[in-house]
Amino acid sequence: MAQDSERALVPVGSQLAGTPRVPNGEVDAPRLVVAAAFGLAVEVQRRSFDAAGAVAGRFAGPLRALTRPAVSFARGSVAVARHHLDLDTWAARGLAEQRRVQAAAVQGVRTLTAALVTAVLDEIDLDEVVARVDLDRVVARIDLNQIAARIDLDAIVERIDVGAIVERVDVGAIVEQVDVDAIAGRIDLDAVASRIDLDAIVARVDLDAIVSRIDIAGLTEQVIDEVDLGEIIRESSSTMATETVDALRVQGMRVDGLVSRIADRILFRQGERQTGPLPEEPRP
Amino acid sequence: MTRDIRYANARALQGHRAGFASRVVADAIDLVVAWLLGLAALLAAGVVRYLLTGPPLRLPVLPNWLNASGFGAVAVVYLGLSWAATGRSVGKQIAGLRVVDRVGRRLSVWRSFARALLYVLFPAGLLWVLASRRNASVQDIVVRTAVLYDWAYHAPDEALPATDRR
Repeated sequence: MAQDSERALVPVGSQLAGTPRVPNGEVDAPRLVVAAAFGLAVEVQRRSFDAAGAVAGRFAGPLRALTRPAVSFARGSVAVARHHLDLDTWAARGLAEQRRVQAAAVQGVRTLTAALVTAVLDEIDLDEVVARVDLDRVVARIDLNQIAARIDLDAIVERIDVGAIVERVDVGAIVEQVDVDAIAGRIDLDAVASRIDLDAIVARVDLDAIVSRIDIAGLTEQVIDEVDLGEIIRESSSTMATETVDALRVQGMRVDGLVSRIADRILFRQGERQTGPLPEEPRP
Repeated sequence: MTRDIRYANARALQGHRAGFASRVVADAIDLVVAWLLGLAALLAAGVVRYLLTGPPLRLPVLPNWLNASGFGAVAVVYLGLSWAATGRSVGKQIAGLRVVDRVGRRLSVWRSFARALLYVLFPAGLLWVLASRRNASVQDIVVRTAVLYDWAYHAPDEALPATDRR
């Protein structure tokens, strides 16, 4: 555990970024020495860990059997050493120091990155960059069909609330803006009518088929059923008879009056005859 | 089934007492009808006799008194039944007349037959219509009847127009 975290602190070769230099380009000798010493120490530590690991791995089995007493002894000594030399405290302190340095390094890198990005962005003229982008080529590389194929129109349509949209449409306002007269004025009905070939349309109508589908006999029967011929004949003949009889009766009435007047004159009678309605029936 | 009467004059005279000419026409038609009925009766008698006694098929020749009284009987029955039933015989139907009693009701059977009998016995009584102020014949005076212009059909349970005061 402690070995892993310590190894993570050791830079590998690719992470080595050259020697420390003063601003004028010359090598800073004192810092170079210190750094070299530190690097040497780190390397020694790493290698000794590696060697110990290799030895332990290779001779672990037999050694464990052989050295069990020695290990017991060593464990005892280490325990004694831990107790007297306070190794745990020192180790904890070292690890804490390493973590602090690591955090400081991360913080520093972050700050530096932000500053760098800001500086780069300040230098870049985005308009110019965009101007240098060949949009046509970009568009040419876009496979619109593929995109369209991936669009699920049904799902989109399902998510559209047509009712709400329609509610927001002011049809009255739209209709008011439409100049129907102008539209109608632009339609040349004569031209349209002249292009309709009525003869051709009529020629395509199969009149025979239509006529053959009409049940003329049934229709005739229905018409005859509806028209009560007997009633018509009866009515007309009775009307004729009625008219004749009425005419005769009226002539009779006239002759009645004439005869009455002649008779009254012969009888030297004055005044009208009393031919009016009968006297009222005596009520029981 | 009352129908409209187109003639205004005729409409105004409905329910009034009929004059001489109309009644003569009606009675003449009734005379013909009665004669045809009598003839039919004779024919029926001839056919019956033919069926019973064999040919020849001939109208029976009756003695005069029987002939006259038979015709009179047929006429009385025909007129009496007609007037009692509807107040109008065939002739009165054609002439648009109706026989009613003193107050405009249908005749009772006895009054109807009495009137018919009087007419058959004394047809000349009709002439009194000329003289009567109320267009009444002798028979009308005796049995207290009147003859009115009445063109409309009246159901048997319907009041006659003469009694329908307006």
